[in-house]
Amino acid sequence: MLSLQEVAVGASARVRDVAGSDPTSLRLLEMGLTPGVKVRVVGTAPLGDPLELELRGYRLSIRRNEASRVAVTQ
Amino acid sequence: MNTHSADGTLSPRDPLIVALLGNPNTGKSTLFSALAGIATRVGNYPGVTVEEKIGQFTHHNQVIKLIDLPGTYSLFPKSPDETVAVNVLRGQMPGVPLPDCVIVVADATNLERNLYLASQVLEIGLPTVIALTLCDLADEKGIVIDTALLAQRLGCPVVRVIAPTHEGIAALCDNVIAAPATLHPSPITLDRDFAAANTGHSLPAREAMARYAWIERQLSGVITKTPPASRSFDERIDAVLTHRGWGTLIFIATMLLVFTSIFWLATPLMDLISSGMDGLATGVESLLPPGAIRSLIVNGVLAGIGGVVVFLPQIAMLFFFVAILEGCGYLSRAAFLMDRLLYGVGLSGKSFIPLLSSFACAIPGIMAARTIENRRDRLLTILVAPLMSCSARLPVYLLLCGAFVPNVAVGVPWLRLPALVLAAMYAVGVVVAALVALVLTQTVFRGPPQPFVMELPGWRWPRASVVWERVREASWSFLQNAGTLIVAVSIVVWALASYPYSQQLIEAEVDADRQKLVWRLSQYPPTDPDRVEIVDQLASLETADGLEAARRGAAQRQSFLGRAGRFIEPVVKPLGWDWRIGCAAIASFPAREVVLGTLGVIYNLGEIDPGEEDGSTALVRRLRAATWDGTNRKVYTLPVALSIMIFFALCAQCASTLVVIAQETNSWVWPVVAFTYMTLLAWLGAFATYQIGSAFDL
Repeated sequence: MLSLQEVAVGASARVRDVAGSDPTSLRLLEMGLTPGVKVRVVGTAPLGDPLELELRGYRLSIRRNEASRVAVTQ
Repeated sequence: MNTHSADGTLSPRDPLIVALLGNPNTGKSTLFSALAGIATRVGNYPGVTVEEKIGQFTHHNQVIKLIDLPGTYSLFPKSPDETVAVNVLRGQMPGVPLPDCVIVVADATNLERNLYLASQVLEIGLPTVIALTLCDLADEKGIVIDTALLAQRLGCPVVRVIAPTHEGIAALCDNVIAAPATLHPSPITLDRDFAAANTGHSLPAREAMARYAWIERQLSGVITKTPPASRSFDERIDAVLTHRGWGTLIFIATMLLVFTSIFWLATPLMDLISSGMDGLATGVESLLPPGAIRSLIVNGVLAGIGGVVVFLPQIAMLFFFVAILEGCGYLSRAAFLMDRLLYGVGLSGKSFIPLLSSFACAIPGIMAARTIENRRDRLLTILVAPLMSCSARLPVYLLLCGAFVPNVAVGVPWLRLPALVLAAMYAVGVVVAALVALVLTQTVFRGPPQPFVMELPGWRWPRASVVWERVREASWSFLQNAGTLIVAVSIVVWALASYPYSQQLIEAEVDADRQKLVWRLSQYPPTDPDRVEIVDQLASLETADGLEAARRGAAQRQSFLGRAGRFIEPVVKPLGWDWRIGCAAIASFPAREVVLGTLGVIYNLGEIDPGEEDGSTALVRRLRAATWDGTNRKVYTLPVALSIMIFFALCAQCASTLVVIAQETNSWVWPVVAFTYMTLLAWLGAFATYQIGSAFDL
């Protein structure tokens, strides 16, 4: 099972599911990380965390531990 | 809710209640300013720390009350901001009538995600108008939106707006006024999608999927985007700015620019204000006869006002930079770069700029914490900001390091111990702040991890009107709220330092001091170098100035302040301090800089300004020669100097900061908490420093 935080920089993936129903997972879904959407990992901060993503035409940054909730397929 | 007359129209006399909401970074504040100018009522909603912002304007004889709701990505009540928005839209917020109309601000460059909130608002069923902002940016990016088609699909008007140039504002207002009477938005149908999306996902996931599926359906054919020939401007800039190497370098350079500007550029302005106030004080002094009234006005009121106004350049400058960085989109990149470091201590990337500015002065730093939407992070940042050694502590460090730290080289000849100790004082503040944040996150602020899901907005030119508004609002609110209280505190301290006042007792004390000096002189062998200082002091008592200074010192010692110093002597003795230092510490409550001046007065140097060359060397000489009452034992040893510095590094001796904390958190609990924990830490730190230092016989 591949999670978003394991996707290499520059690569794209499609979201399969977002685990959890706490406010953090809810926020990820509201921001557009819904099952079926295409996400591209643009880069990371100098220390490797957080990640910069591109989806639905805009840029989003999330921490690795938040990205680990997002299951993806490539 | 306004009552409609029989034919369904609104009486133009009743104000129309309009709610304004939208995602952050959509130019909502610019739109608010374009519609209603400056907010007429700014405070907090009852019971929560969510700012209530209401403006008023008139369009075609109709008075409109505009409620600016906090920027949110969704109405699902996960946070106070969202809860307030939902309550207002449902008419369940005490003191706020049910809105007649809702304006949803949608970013034209980001329509897909922006419609998420719009879909929730449309479900509520209030008359809605969608204001499409940042259209100029969308045009630049080659994004074309068929607003007519979109309006038809959504069932509500969609108006193109370019707020800074007021393009579309009139049309927006027309639609808003017409909305309650003419439009009945069709309820959006999510049910079909719900069932279709029932493929084993959780309920929140299914709802989000359903909404985005609905959005995709509404938007099909609405947006035509000309694909960029090469990488877009945004991408190219981001590639550099969030790059591991270049991004970090540019970031450090930017932060240095901001920080040094606040430090160095503001200083000439602050000096200007200072000398202006001094000139005013001298003028008043020459006009009024000496006495209590004159002293109250000059040393109480004017000193207090001067103490407030002197912060204005720093506040204005910081907010200027923050507004520009936020407006262009760089602030979120900065938070992105710093997040990992700050997350390690329980904060987040957004705390970086407030904390950095606090090295110049905690007041603008704490106010800058407004950029942190997350309530817990914001409060935590505000509570640890005063630990960043501000510029007011620097004179204390410089004087004590210079006078009592041996000027030896450490390792290399150009690296001197006093400089290292100075750097160590700054480091102490940072380390303690990190520890405090960690402890607070594990205890008082324990809770589920706060998400750092943060949008990186597209690059845009910051709007001059928005920048100006930020600077103006911050400066004015500081002057108004903090100013009155700080002046009041200064007057109280003046009173405590000036009374009780008895000419007789003062003369008696000056005489007693003279006797003590003569006695001490007899204790020193004729060749002891410290004799020189005592001879000097005796000699100065024969001069008019010296006598005046001695009288002033005696007056202060006999005042409530002086007595308080003596009273707390048992508490400060374990720190190696005598009552004079305790007295100076208490006197420095309004502002730390005062401590050196107070020491000057207590040691009979009169009203010297320790910044002056003569002043500091005279003070240093007196400190070096100072002994415990009735003995020859020196008060100021290295451990004592270090303990004083550590105390000032960690203490909250700044009434202005505490007042601003109250203002920003809308409660007096937090300044009390800050003062208590910092004073405790300061005492413990000074205690440990002195005891350990003495044990090692430094």
